[in-house]
Amino acid sequence: MSTRELVTGGAACAVSGSSSSSSNPLGALANALIGSSSKTQERLKEIPNAAAATSHTQFYDDPVAALPGSELDHPFLQSNAQGSDFIRGFRTAHDNGLADAWDEIQRQPHLDRVYNAAPAPPIQPTLDGPPQRVLSSFLHSFVDSSRSGIPLHPTPLPLLGLSQGDKQCIRDRSSIMARHFFADKSEEFINSQVNALLSSLEIDSDSHAKGPMPGRFRELEDYWNESQGILKPGAHAADGWVTEFSQHRAQHGDPDAWAHSFEQQHGAGGWASEFEQNSKFLQFVSKMSRGELIIDDNQVKPASGSWATEYQQQFNGGASWADEFVHDEVSHGPAQWVNEFATEREQEPVDDQWVNEFSKLHVDDWTEEFGRQVGEGALGDSSSDNWATAYDEFLNEQVASKERSDASTGVYVFSDMNPYVGHPNPLKEGQELFRKGLLSEAVLALEAEVMKNPENAEGWRLLGITHAENDDDQQAIAAMMRAQEADPTNLEVLLALGVSHTNELEQAAALKYLYGWLRHHPKYGTLVLPELVDSLYYADVARLFNEAAQMSPEDADVHVVLGVLYNLSREYDKAIASFKTALKLQPNDYSLWNKLGATQANSVQSADAILAYQQALDLKPNYVRAWANMGISYANQGMYEDSIRYYVRALAMNPKADNAWQYLRISLSCASRNDMLEACDSRNLELLQKEFPL
Amino acid sequence: MANTELKSDNLFEMMKIHLATDAGKELTKKIGLVYQINIAPKKIGFDEVSYVVDLKKGEVTKGKYEGGKPDAIFSFKDDDFIKVATGKMHPQIAFMRGAMKIKGSLSAAQKFTPDIFPKPAKL
Repeated sequence: MSTRELVTGGAACAVSGSSSSSSNPLGALANALIGSSSKTQERLKEIPNAAAATSHTQFYDDPVAALPGSELDHPFLQSNAQGSDFIRGFRTAHDNGLADAWDEIQRQPHLDRVYNAAPAPPIQPTLDGPPQRVLSSFLHSFVDSSRSGIPLHPTPLPLLGLSQGDKQCIRDRSSIMARHFFADKSEEFINSQVNALLSSLEIDSDSHAKGPMPGRFRELEDYWNESQGILKPGAHAADGWVTEFSQHRAQHGDPDAWAHSFEQQHGAGGWASEFEQNSKFLQFVSKMSRGELIIDDNQVKPASGSWATEYQQQFNGGASWADEFVHDEVSHGPAQWVNEFATEREQEPVDDQWVNEFSKLHVDDWTEEFGRQVGEGALGDSSSDNWATAYDEFLNEQVASKERSDASTGVYVFSDMNPYVGHPNPLKEGQELFRKGLLSEAVLALEAEVMKNPENAEGWRLLGITHAENDDDQQAIAAMMRAQEADPTNLEVLLALGVSHTNELEQAAALKYLYGWLRHHPKYGTLVLPELVDSLYYADVARLFNEAAQMSPEDADVHVVLGVLYNLSREYDKAIASFKTALKLQPNDYSLWNKLGATQANSVQSADAILAYQQALDLKPNYVRAWANMGISYANQGMYEDSIRYYVRALAMNPKADNAWQYLRISLSCASRNDMLEACDSRNLELLQKEFPL
Repeated sequence: MANTELKSDNLFEMMKIHLATDAGKELTKKIGLVYQINIAPKKIGFDEVSYVVDLKKGEVTKGKYEGGKPDAIFSFKDDDFIKVATGKMHPQIAFMRGAMKIKGSLSAAQKFTPDIFPKPAKL
């Protein structure tokens, strides 16, 4: 389907093969309204394969502007004025002069001025004159009725010679438009308006109705389905566009050839026309976002519900979804896109594909334009920014994902540009820095040490501990694993591994290490029966630990390990009791205070948790983990403003604490400090510190 | 403790207790919807455990929703749910990548954001 046909009529309503050469006034009108902004004119100049220069492409611009999200871009409540303007321009057009009229409309200066235009008095439709004129004036009055709120009366019209395709088109478009015009009116009003319009035009509004479902929802589905009707039978409706592409691809092995053939098939405006097809998709999506359609088993079903009232709510939802593309910085050439597409086709479940597809569109300039417009204009709500920045973050995550995947598979990631490499005794240096509380510096020194001596268990161990205190469990685990390789019986290493895995909610692994602690303990190792090693059940391990505790109640370590174990099983009261016992024996162990606090926090005793964290911080002021935990406890209590300060403090000490960045972001948006989201995403610590001092 | 423990269990436990607090009550006022969340250990749709996060009454229960139809039903893999709930992955991104499946009212689903869930503290 090509947008060329839109102008000439027919195919816009997805009645494939329609070669009606009579203009499609309603379709044109709808497209004009949808795409009505002079800004959109420039949009598609840069779209690949979109030939510029001819006046015909101007036509494509507007309909193509019905791109994901653009429909929702405009304040439809004001579109009435635009509508009348267009109709005015339109009415001056003859059949062949449609092109000129279109150009004229496009050349109008910013349509902002029409927003200020006073509404014209309702105009009675002229009932004589050529069919097109009649139709257009009738439509004009339909539009006007929206502004004046006067219900449209069914008017007997002379035979307009509308084909079935035209009628369906008008039916669909008018119902959609009616919803836009009358978004603030009741459902009944909308229905009556549309019915009046349709009955005057002798369009059967229910021809596709099935059962009790409202006709227009079914219409849209049919509309959608029909548009995909030319594709492989059995293809899921949402696949249609996708399968079409794959068909093209199958025909031309070479990716570039595909692009060329695509261009051939669809003409200069081909790329643009594909977007036009997206306008159906767009409508589909906007229906979805309005809650009219229910996704059930990946089938789309209409939902009942007050569409009109939800519309405004969802206004932002749909557009912000579209905003995703605004910030798509991943550029794929056409070939790559096609390749990816083809491979994905085989691998991924089909439903996901079209979704993934859109996220890879190479439409930088368009999206920039669009993004600017969205940012300036209609939305005026931070949710779209959230989307955009969310997407930015997603991309950042992609970029950083290799690093992360290394760490998550237990591979330690060394820092670049380590000033301590070459230091005569980096281990000592590292220990000193650690003692002083300069955790990030200590990390660097210790890294230099283990680069020099990879078998140095102590170096790895301390590195692991430092990372844990710096609130980076991933690196902590990686370092500790190396330490364990170097020294498999080291109890501190085993405990630290147990703790880190508990934090990562890796219960089985944590249990293994804590059990290992018991096994390798000189005193309690005897308690362990060899056959238990393979199938570890929590209950058994807990029992053993309790026995150990009874053996030597003065051993703080046992209580600590018990505390961690109880955290695993979420028996928080017992965990708290164990930690308190341990603390009585070792009151100056800052990490114990933190453990106590964290346990209390996880059992939602946030006020107590904060007290415990404070104790830890008194003992060790640069304890990044404790700062971050403080932030968490405030945030969980809904005290977002405070939590922000603590997060910023933690991040100032360790800018690499990814957890804290994420939590900071959440707190910022909860505290409605979206102005700082930009700073958060760009990790602008300076600005954040200035803004949120402690 | 069985081997079929999910990481997400922790979050739901926390959520349960959280809803009894003042901050939690705020949530019920703000959102007032019922979510059912199906968590699968390895692959969505297999061996799912369902939780109902009832933000009307302010409670979390295990098992499918009995009192009618939940406003939205989500399906996640265990790891992905943790990522979304702790803010590591945005729900919109999760949806686009197919890491999060939604059934039911999309508008209700859109209210399901990371900040609903209390974050776990680190030992």
